[in-house]
Amino acid sequence: MPGAPEPVDPLERIARFAAVLRDHGFTVGIAEQRAFVQAALALPVERSARIGAAWRAIACHDARDWKRWPELFERHWFPHRATGRSTLGGQVRPSRDLRRLVSDLHERLGPPTGPRGEAPPPDTAADDAVVAADDPGAERAQGGASRTDPLHDRSLSQWLPQELARLAQLVERIARALRRRLSRRWRDAPNARRLDLRRTLRASLRTGGEPVHPAWRTRRRTPPRLFVLVDVSRSMETHAQFFLRVARAFVGAIGARVFVFHTRLAEVTPLLRGDSAAVQEKVAAVTAGFGGGTRIATSLADFRTVHARAQLGRDARVWILSDGFDADPARELAEQLRRLRGRGARIAWLHPGANPPASEAMAWVRAAHVLEGMHRLDRLADLDRLGSSILN
Amino acid sequence: MTEEALRKALAAAGYLADDALATALWLAGELGRPLLVEGDAGVGKTSLALALARARGLELVRLQCHEGLELAQAAYEWNYGRQLLAIRLGEAGGSALREADLFAREYLLERPLLRAISGDAPAVLLIDELDRADEAFEAYLLELLADWQVSVPELGTIRARHVPQVVLTSNGTRELSDALRRRCLYHWLEHPSLAREVAIVEATLPGVRAALVAQAVEVVHRLRREDLARKPGVAETLDWVRALHGLGVESLAEDPRTLAAAQACLLKTREDRFQFDAARLRSLTEGRSIGVAEHARGA
Repeated sequence: MPGAPEPVDPLERIARFAAVLRDHGFTVGIAEQRAFVQAALALPVERSARIGAAWRAIACHDARDWKRWPELFERHWFPHRATGRSTLGGQVRPSRDLRRLVSDLHERLGPPTGPRGEAPPPDTAADDAVVAADDPGAERAQGGASRTDPLHDRSLSQWLPQELARLAQLVERIARALRRRLSRRWRDAPNARRLDLRRTLRASLRTGGEPVHPAWRTRRRTPPRLFVLVDVSRSMETHAQFFLRVARAFVGAIGARVFVFHTRLAEVTPLLRGDSAAVQEKVAAVTAGFGGGTRIATSLADFRTVHARAQLGRDARVWILSDGFDADPARELAEQLRRLRGRGARIAWLHPGANPPASEAMAWVRAAHVLEGMHRLDRLADLDRLGSSILN
Repeated sequence: MTEEALRKALAAAGYLADDALATALWLAGELGRPLLVEGDAGVGKTSLALALARARGLELVRLQCHEGLELAQAAYEWNYGRQLLAIRLGEAGGSALREADLFAREYLLERPLLRAISGDAPAVLLIDELDRADEAFEAYLLELLADWQVSVPELGTIRARHVPQVVLTSNGTRELSDALRRRCLYHWLEHPSLAREVAIVEATLPGVRAALVAQAVEVVHRLRREDLARKPGVAETLDWVRALHGLGVESLAEDPRTLAAAQACLLKTREDRFQFDAARLRSLTEGRSIGVAEHARGA
């Protein structure tokens, strides 16, 4: 929070850092903040340089958080390394000195009272700090008008109820078709209705021939893996709102993972899970720092190697919702799609225009024959047609 | 034990952890929280738990997850054979058996989760490849990891005598629930740096010439920069170096047997084999003339 004076209270400093993390999409609640304090108390002051690694283990919950941590941590605690020491009214701003923070905490709260983290969390002051940071009225980085620009012209809440119902109906139809994956394999299921005679007889040997332990089985159902990549660049701003609404419906129906991209890629699935009218603003806030332009190939490379690294197989479907205007070298998009297809994923391109995208990059993509299809998606009627064509 | 002492103990147990990993592991022990370790296959997630058990002198209890994993395999199971035997003996001896007699602790078979919390001494519990288990099992695990207890309907609640140090691993083939992630500390394990991997191989295979180790590890690092379906991990590097040593290879560039060994040990999918035919693999092993940076630019 540039501009705000640095608090003196170490607990408030931690709470402020936690708020920064939350603003960047980290799940850092009261439990994590307490663990921050416990970790700082468990570390000897002379080893305070390790606090970053300790907090990283607490605050990060997946690979995405893990990769974003170093930049956020550096920017918050060592701003002078990037921008030089800033001053406030001619005075040097109070330093965000981690060693000092750890030592202040030790002085104030003393050594932890027991091993294995059972020390009671600091009482009033810590809780106050935590509560202050959780206060929705507290200062936040997100939500400003400038950040919502790219997606601001129509609100998700402007949909009519009958349109929403129709969308849900269409998405459910497509989701049902995606789920319908017949497999000849069976799996154990204690609550299934089909008796696994062979295993039941085998198990009965342990109980003197009495089938005390019947084994049940059911057909194996591989859950569909749907990844929806939504282009939210300037050229798509009038369509992104519709695309996000559709993507959100798929999140609810089959647990699709949704990403937005223009110059970079970010996952927004957690934001779409909640039933909030502010989804659009939140998504816009996530992409606010991306800058101008559209780098589809770079985003796809990031998607393949980091975000969906181990989940791209024959079961995976990737839908790219974009107009196909790419600032990366023209051939790169086709190459990235080829690599994605090489993992087994089935890729469909959904575009808002009446005609398929005609950019040079898309010409290379068409020549590479890596797409399962290109379909128009601009209104609900298109989704209806999509259901029939994409799943055949 | 400080995190530095833990790092040294791990090294003595044959696992070279970097500072960040040692700190995360130490903190997990201090806070009594499970540590969730994710990363590519072969980066050393499982062996971390094995080394932790050795370093701390604790028993390792391992639960290998798979699709359809049930409570009976993971936590506990009634010993029906013994129960039936007791019934038959009771009938033969004319003594009346109550139901409570049959569902006593002596008839309970402890599976890994129960064994880890009910042993006489603390243990290291490794829950390996959790992403392969069903979501229902993951939900069950939440109770154990939060309250350190296992509920047996016929018997009651069995509380932990010692809280085990838990290491969970996942390869990311399925997204784990947010609830489970928030109960754990987290560490993303990268492939080791060149120097660290050389040190790992030298520590594991002390009899191999240092020059051969350095060459081999450098080739593996070059290979990892390629777009492979399955990148070779440390285990593959060790296999390859062991094979080269066994074959009596002195220098990678000069010996044709290097390629066959590399294909067998490092490239484990058909696509990767296809992509790296003998010629391309040879240029990679002779990488000194190309140079790593140049190679990266070329790729």
